[in-house]
Amino acid sequence: MNPALLLNFTKQELVDRYSGSILGAAWTLILPLVNILIFIFVFSNLMGSRLPGSSSTYSYSIYLIAGMIPWIAFSNTVTRSAFTFSGQSHIIKKIRISLPHLPLYIVLSESIIFLISLLFFLLFLAMTDNLPGTSIVILPFIFITQQIFAYALGFLFAIFDVFIKDIREFVGVIFQIWFWLTPIVYVPDILPTYAHYWLSYNPAYIFIKAYHELFAFGNPLNTQSLMILVVIAHLLLALAYLTFKKLEKDIRDFL
Amino acid sequence: MIQVTALSKKFRLYRKASDRLREILFRRAFHTEYQALANINFTVQDGETLGIIGQNGAGKSTLLKLLTGVLLPDAGQIAINGRITGLLELGTGFNMEMSGLDNIYTNGMLLGMSRTEMDAKRESITGFSELGHFVHEPIKTYSSGMVMRLAFSIAIHAEPKCFVVDEALSVGDAHFQQKCMTRIREFRQQGGSIIFVSHDMNAIKVLCDKAILLDHGVLIEEGDPEYVVNAYNYLVARLNDQENRLHLIDSDQHDYGTLAARIEEVSVVGEDSQSSVVSAGETTVIRIMIHAQQDIDEATVGILIRNRYGQDIFGTNSYHLKQPLALHAGQRYALRYTLPMNVGSGKYSITVALHSGPTHVADCYHWRDHVAAFEVAGTRGDVFTGLCKLYPSFTMTLV
Repeated sequence: MNPALLLNFTKQELVDRYSGSILGAAWTLILPLVNILIFIFVFSNLMGSRLPGSSSTYSYSIYLIAGMIPWIAFSNTVTRSAFTFSGQSHIIKKIRISLPHLPLYIVLSESIIFLISLLFFLLFLAMTDNLPGTSIVILPFIFITQQIFAYALGFLFAIFDVFIKDIREFVGVIFQIWFWLTPIVYVPDILPTYAHYWLSYNPAYIFIKAYHELFAFGNPLNTQSLMILVVIAHLLLALAYLTFKKLEKDIRDFL
Repeated sequence: MIQVTALSKKFRLYRKASDRLREILFRRAFHTEYQALANINFTVQDGETLGIIGQNGAGKSTLLKLLTGVLLPDAGQIAINGRITGLLELGTGFNMEMSGLDNIYTNGMLLGMSRTEMDAKRESITGFSELGHFVHEPIKTYSSGMVMRLAFSIAIHAEPKCFVVDEALSVGDAHFQQKCMTRIREFRQQGGSIIFVSHDMNAIKVLCDKAILLDHGVLIEEGDPEYVVNAYNYLVARLNDQENRLHLIDSDQHDYGTLAARIEEVSVVGEDSQSSVVSAGETTVIRIMIHAQQDIDEATVGILIRNRYGQDIFGTNSYHLKQPLALHAGQRYALRYTLPMNVGSGKYSITVALHSGPTHVADCYHWRDHVAAFEVAGTRGDVFTGLCKLYPSFTMTLV
């Protein structure tokens, strides 16, 4: 798949989806903005939530948004990639197209939505004087690793989705549970001790924690656990690719 | 050049798609196999048009999908030096909400064109499609003909090494079809190849340089289109023999007379094709079997050829040919009309009448409408258009 086609698919996702509507592509900006404003307004101004041990008005909102935006990108990338083969079967059945490249347009468009959200978030941080400083240079590294992990997982699900229709519901349920197993809405301190042990096996928490350290706590990052995530992501990628190589002929036959 | 070597494709039929995964887990087979194509070999030279014919389920579509790379073969190679574009994927990925122009880009890129290529060809594509200002409107406002015109215009500008055409070049009106054909001819002259699948034997004969015949996934004939089409007709006739006999006792037929003599059987066979599909200009034999019930001194047997609209194209009888027939009760006679079938392409029916005198009005022994049918496909000798060939001479003088 050439880059132009990938960009065209992405443009369809972000812009063309709103063609015919009055605001058009502006919706791509409006939705993340509304999301962030709700988090700020509801939790900081209305409920007055605070992080434990913090008196800052916005501390909880920052914590929540710092975990929420990357989680939305991660979860949307995986769940939507999972349908790319069965969802785009009308194209795959008619035109020679590289299947491993196909989910990339989802990765790309979800990443762009993340960047837009991040921009609004940074704007809010700047206004409330909570910007993280130079340690922010690590952010692209965290995000790219996260999205490689998401792509590998989505690709794997997309392969199985061709054979098992239940994958659709299964992925939805898994992500619902996974969301609550990961400290995004709550802080990990409220968990009982045995849960802390299990938390170290949650790969999503590796990157969510990194965002928390960066934006909410201003702590130095645990690069060691990030390296573990890099390894996990690439191992999963290799697994997905090998599975694909074994099943490509069947995928094309079944679609 | 396209070279296909030892191409085989097997489909595994599963009751459920998930059985494929069970197979891997349990290392046991959960499928039945279906050999869609077995050991197919052929080459298509640059500028050549190959016709693929065969009955439904013969493997034609599978072959096309392998050629375009939508499916992967189990064994064998397909060597193509360039892009291969299918006219079977017309309009893939069209977004109904978006304008024709936007869709030109999306569809063109799916067909493998780059953005710069699209920028260069945009004008030419919109011009060819003759959509005018509609090109700026969303596709959902188009008629189906307009959508097809747009799709075809994009596909034909993809400039592949080879076009794969599945049936239907029936895009738009006669004017647009002619434009498409002209464009395809140019494409061939510039060295492009075409692989063409059709059930229209006339189109195969007219358009193709050579043809292959598939039967149950096996290539059984290859060569000159007329020869392969005849092989196909023979294949079909053999399979449909029983049905054909049933058709003869169809209740819709107009079949009447005093039955002093009966028309028992009528067949039409091309001298070369040995089937009821003949080329225009081919010597054709109409064979009529009659059975006399009474003695008749001067009987007449006539034939009438009608086209598919029921128009009388040509009729004559033995009275006009000055060959009165004397029939004896209880005897059977075989009569033959031999004529060059100088009529235009299409389907025809034959009506046979047995009567006395010049017309059947006086004494009609037996009249059978549509007692046999035949098809004219392709032309032998000089090409002509219209209903019949009139053998003109042509001169030019300087004045």
